[in-house]
Amino acid sequence: MIRKFVGAVVAALAALAGLWLMIAPFALGTQPENADWTNATHSEFFSGLGVAVVGLAGVIAFVLAIHEELVARGLVVPKPRRPEPEPEPVPAAAPQSSSAELASLLAPLVEALREDLNTTPRSGEHRQNGRTSLVGAEENR
Amino acid sequence: MKARLGVSALVILFLAGLWLVAAPFAVGYQERGAAYADATINDLWLGGGLAGLSFVALVIYAADALRDLARRGKHADA
Repeated sequence: MIRKFVGAVVAALAALAGLWLMIAPFALGTQPENADWTNATHSEFFSGLGVAVVGLAGVIAFVLAIHEELVARGLVVPKPRRPEPEPEPVPAAAPQSSSAELASLLAPLVEALREDLNTTPRSGEHRQNGRTSLVGAEENR
Repeated sequence: MKARLGVSALVILFLAGLWLVAAPFAVGYQERGAAYADATINDLWLGGGLAGLSFVALVIYAADALRDLARRGKHADA
């Protein structure tokens, strides 16, 4: 446990050192103003950037490791994740109170079908209901 | 696994410290024989400190891990 703590502290110090390295050329005045970056500035800035990133990654890794160990020892209880809210049940459509309502709903449809049957011209190859037998109509095809 | 990642970071930081010590001479912004420039002094101090701290942290990590192993060995013998 203590080793991880030491690692986290050192990594945090390294991250701070990296940040200092990034600003050092400007803070110390080794980088002239309004001029291209010198070799020293390039070297220090990008070295500092790398050190800061690696140090930050080290801090995160050690802190997570410490948390894991504390959980394993039972000293820390992980927060239970919030259960996803259940979708609210969609209210069911109100049941038809009676078959009369159903009949009144279907009446226009029935009427339209009836009109369609009466108006559609029947060609010869189609069987007319009740006039020829099904077998005969199929043989004529 | 996460601790291993942290140890890897410490190793990289140690190497970065060594690089910082060598950088003024490797990159060439410190002339030979001349007085140390401000950038050189900064790099030497920071690099040396970084390498030293990382090394100490790695040693402490290894020592504590070995102590753990020894303790487990004692419990297994008993």
